[in-house]
Amino acid sequence: MITCRAITKVFAMGTAKLEALRGVDIAIEAGEFISIMGPSGSGKSTLMNIIGCLDTPTAGTYLLDGREVAGMTFDQLAEARNRKIGFVFQNFNLLPYASAYENIELPMLFNGKSARQRRQRVEELLAQVGLADWRRHRPSELSGGQQQRIAIARALANDPPVILADEPTGNLDSASGEEIMALFNGLWRQGRTLVMVTHDPKIAAHSQRTVKLLDGRVVA
Amino acid sequence: MIAAFLVNFLRDLRRQPLRTVLTLSGVVWGTFSVAVLIAFGASVHRMQIKRAHGMGQNLVIAWPSRTTMPYGGFLKGHVVRLSAEDVEALPSRVSGIRRISPEFILPRRIRFGRQELNNSVRGVNPAFAVMRNTIPQTGRFIDPSDLERRRRVCFIGNTLAQDLFRGDTAVGRDIFIEGVPFIVVGVMKEKQQNSNYSGQRDEHCAFIPWTTFSALYGEKYVSNFLFQPEDPAGSKPLIRDLRRLLGRRLGFDPRDEDALFIWDVTELEQKFIAFFAAFTIFLGVIGSFTLLVGGVGVASIMLVVVEERTREIGVKLAVGAKRRTILRQFFAEAQALILFGGGIGFLLASLAVAATSRIKAVTDSVGTPVIDPVVSVSTVAVLLLIGTVSGLMPARRAAAVDPIQALRK
Ligand SMILES: Nc1ncnc2c1ncn2[C@@H]1O[C@H](COP(=O)(O)OP(=O)(O)OP(=O)(O)O)[C@@H](O)[C@H]1O
Ligand SMILES: [Mg+2]
Repeated sequence: MITCRAITKVFAMGTAKLEALRGVDIAIEAGEFISIMGPSGSGKSTLMNIIGCLDTPTAGTYLLDGREVAGMTFDQLAEARNRKIGFVFQNFNLLPYASAYENIELPMLFNGKSARQRRQRVEELLAQVGLADWRRHRPSELSGGQQQRIAIARALANDPPVILADEPTGNLDSASGEEIMALFNGLWRQGRTLVMVTHDPKIAAHSQRTVKLLDGRVVA
Repeated sequence: MIAAFLVNFLRDLRRQPLRTVLTLSGVVWGTFSVAVLIAFGASVHRMQIKRAHGMGQNLVIAWPSRTTMPYGGFLKGHVVRLSAEDVEALPSRVSGIRRISPEFILPRRIRFGRQELNNSVRGVNPAFAVMRNTIPQTGRFIDPSDLERRRRVCFIGNTLAQDLFRGDTAVGRDIFIEGVPFIVVGVMKEKQQNSNYSGQRDEHCAFIPWTTFSALYGEKYVSNFLFQPEDPAGSKPLIRDLRRLLGRRLGFDPRDEDALFIWDVTELEQKFIAFFAAFTIFLGVIGSFTLLVGGVGVASIMLVVVEERTREIGVKLAVGAKRRTILRQFFAEAQALILFGGGIGFLLASLAVAATSRIKAVTDSVGTPVIDPVVSVSTVAVLLLIGTVSGLMPARRAAAVDPIQALRK
């Protein structure tokens, strides 16, 4: 499903160069549930952004579902983000002025789904994350856990095969964190591929295996 | 897709009322002030032209007088006199005269029933009406057969008609001028007359055929004559030719300006045209600046909007919006806001103009302002351009960044 070979990412910081990733090889099968761990600054987010087509590697190859991502245009990347991948952020990244319903609907506004299809899907997802009664609320009126569940529903809107989550429980208390993990477990059981970054070994324990990053390299 | 786009668009507008209102008010103010400014400016212009034409258009008036230089054996002080026949023969002797009329003027007692006034009576020919804009409200002006048959008919000014008939129909009635009955054939339409010469303003006058005037009052020589040059801009050489010809025939030096005193109203009109060209340019400049200020307002709001919406752009990009979708959204938002704001601006301007048009004091001094559709359309077009460019540039920049960078904001 996801194959990374010798991925490097170099950030130019003025004159200095910062190597965030120094040759990362990773292969993730369809249906796997992987967690990525490592100390702060080890390049976890950088790697996730590349896998999520939000960013492109400086060098190396990345095959998503058998397709080379490195040469894709901006719009092709957008399409991959729209259909192949659902991304869940640590800080949710919901539109503050839109309701829960509208936030979930957002990805479907960019690929020509009919109004009826959209409504049906949003209702389904609201039920799935258990927030059907909160559809009209704005993010600021929801708890962190509820916001993250809306964000997960949004990630699922176009039914993508891959779900990526960068510290999805990082901003949540442990009870909310467990709810989120229950949701993720359900998604994995439906057959989706899950990749999750976390600092918390208890959270990582939900996954099938853990990849450790250190200084931009995979260790063990 | 379009429906989804509209959903997105309307939602974003509705969700941010403050921003929407700010942008709108800039556009509303810009279009309103330009439309009102131009409407009033153009109205003042029209009003002044109308007033200037109240006395006549492309007009030259000449008064035969006394010589102030000796000429051809005459001492100075010799009286220059010209008959009406001589006047009417002038176009065949000097080229470049389009139409001409002799004019006799005397104050006369004018009576109808118990009303009696002492007003100016002017003996003229039919060409007078065109030159002096004495347009009939009812009936007609004096015609060539009146002139030929020395009919006792008169065309009267609107105020004179009011004074004599008190609102009753005047046309067809007999009035007495110095005790002699005249049939009223027409009443002048009210006009704004800025300037005048010899006798009362046209609204108080009675106009009769000069042939009748001559015969009844024993006047052979005209008080003055008036003519229109073929070419309004070329009155100077025509006047020179005229002085030369008449000087030879009547015995005065062509350089003796007082012998034949001439008021070239076309000259005034040329100056007037030049003045109003300047006035229009002035208005245009003021209007452009107003528009620019409005445009800068719109532009700065667009800039702020894009700045504060970078995160939103980031989120949309992250969930799969294409670059052109984002751009189209900003584009459409700017345009819809400007069109809507422009519409409101013009509505308000029309209301303002309609309201002021009802106040007599306003219409008397500045005329009746009308919103110019060309100005309206071009104002909105300019704002559209400014708004679109100013909105699109930062939007392009925002949509060009990686979603990650936009999300960092
Ligand atoms: N856009 C960027 N420009 C410059 N440097 C960056 C950028 N993004 C990340 N970095 C740097 O790259 C390195 C890896 O960052 P990254 O965010 O991937 O770490 P991380 O493992 O996710 O850390 P954390 O656990 O704190 O989230 C860090 O040193 C970071 O400062
Ligand atoms: Mg990170």
